[in-house]
Amino acid sequence: MILLDRVTKNYGKSNKPALNRASIHVGAGEFVIIVGTSGAGKSTLLKLLTREEKPSSGKIVVGGIDYDNLKDKHIPLLRRKIGVVFQDFKLLPNRTVFENVAFALEIAGMTNREIKATVPKVIELVGLKGKEKHFPHQLSGGERQRVAIARAVVRQPKILIADEPTGNLDPKHSWDIVRLLEKINKYGTTVILTTHNVEIVNKLKRRVITIDHGKITSDQARGSYKQ
Amino acid sequence: MKSASKSNKNKETIRIRQRRRGWLTFVRMCRYGINNFSRNAWLTIAATAVMSVTLIIVFITLSARQVLVDTVSNVSKRADMSIYLKGDTPEKTIKTIKSRIEKLDNVDSVKYISAEEAREKQAEQYKDNPDTLEAIRESSNEMSATLRVSVKELNDQQSLNNFVKTDDLYKKYKDPNREPSFSGERQQAIKTVGSWVRLASIGGSIATVVFVVISSLVVFNTIRMAIFNRKDEIEMMKLIGAERSFIRGPFIVEAIMYGFIAAIIATVVGYGLLILAHDPMVKYGIPIDNLLNHLKMYGVLVFLSMILVGAAIGVTSSWVATRKYLKL
Repeated sequence: MILLDRVTKNYGKSNKPALNRASIHVGAGEFVIIVGTSGAGKSTLLKLLTREEKPSSGKIVVGGIDYDNLKDKHIPLLRRKIGVVFQDFKLLPNRTVFENVAFALEIAGMTNREIKATVPKVIELVGLKGKEKHFPHQLSGGERQRVAIARAVVRQPKILIADEPTGNLDPKHSWDIVRLLEKINKYGTTVILTTHNVEIVNKLKRRVITIDHGKITSDQARGSYKQ
Repeated sequence: MKSASKSNKNKETIRIRQRRRGWLTFVRMCRYGINNFSRNAWLTIAATAVMSVTLIIVFITLSARQVLVDTVSNVSKRADMSIYLKGDTPEKTIKTIKSRIEKLDNVDSVKYISAEEAREKQAEQYKDNPDTLEAIRESSNEMSATLRVSVKELNDQQSLNNFVKTDDLYKKYKDPNREPSFSGERQQAIKTVGSWVRLASIGGSIATVVFVVISSLVVFNTIRMAIFNRKDEIEMMKLIGAERSFIRGPFIVEAIMYGFIAAIIATVVGYGLLILAHDPMVKYGIPIDNLLNHLKMYGVLVFLSMILVGAAIGVTSSWVATRKYLKL
């Protein structure tokens, strides 16, 4: 599903690469947690996967798409196949819960009928039924993150990337979000989660990839994390 | 044969679907633009206010320039550019000379005033003075036949000067007692008026361009700041796979709406200001009626132009401002 082969990313003329010859293979339906301290290279790795950044060297293949052959005009199509959840939610502030989730379908050109049939189901899946007409500022942090997850999965992507989705949440809401990600993974979506949260990593007992100073230092099938 | 027909049908279906999708995307962009416009109340008020002020400045500047052009035109017309012929010059010769002058580069029109008409005009001037009037009536007509020339450019008297120096027919019939009004001492006076007229025209044009450019930059900056505040939104749209045109579209629709409302406000305010300024300006001899008549006659066109200018400034600003954040 995801293949990184000796990928290096340098920013500007810096001698220290943000990512240094990283090689990862993630199979379909896996739940992978990427851990590391701030500045270790986790975000760079995710930016390379969503094609926000180009690698300085190495090969990236996601869902059969070789990024070396990917033209700029096809990047939006690639991103529609990957769901992304951010630490700061990145919701559209002037649009309701329904509109935020529907937006992901509207950009893909789905009809209004399809949108009206799909969006309520996903809102229900993330536990926000009844809040369709609320604006983001009327929701708690956990609820906002649920909206972001609903938006990310409404197109049923094969891959879901969650970049520190619990970073701004209290422990209870953090666990709610993690459980939701597990539920989505059970439906067959490959989940890549980056986090600092030791408790979540250790309790989930999933595959853990550790990055330190841009290098992958460990890749454990049922790993743990110590800060 | 059957397979070719099926393939054509499939192509047609794909084309129809693409067209429908394009239309759907367009409607959605408009809807998002309208939503942004109505849901960002403060931003909408601020941007519309700035754009209204800009369009009022554009309206007033262009109006002021038109008033200046009318004033300049009045001054130019009042400058006496006349050629005098002997009172007994045959009509046919006068017509020939008139048509020769009309053919000169800088000449706009030529008006012939016969010696008789000139005498009538003189009499008209002294109608309240019976003694002088009597003297004029009883004396023989010493007035010249006059060709009053209206020029395009007051400073360019070269062709007229050449004409009076070189045209044999004119030289034969010219009034020996009266030199052309634009020669000799008067030439300098006309030249001075001409330079002032020219200076005013150039100054007016430069001021118009400067005001319009500065105002447009103010609007551009306002829209740029508004879009800067929403760069996270743009970033998010990009990351979930929105096409550039889909991201940019609503901003452009929003800017067009600013332009539309600002155009209504600016036209009403600008027109109102001109009506208020009418009496004081007329009092100082500034010609404003021509402008007001034009505005009345072409009111709809002026309003549409204002919308077009407002929308053009808005669209250009949002196009340029979003470009920075739309790099993939």
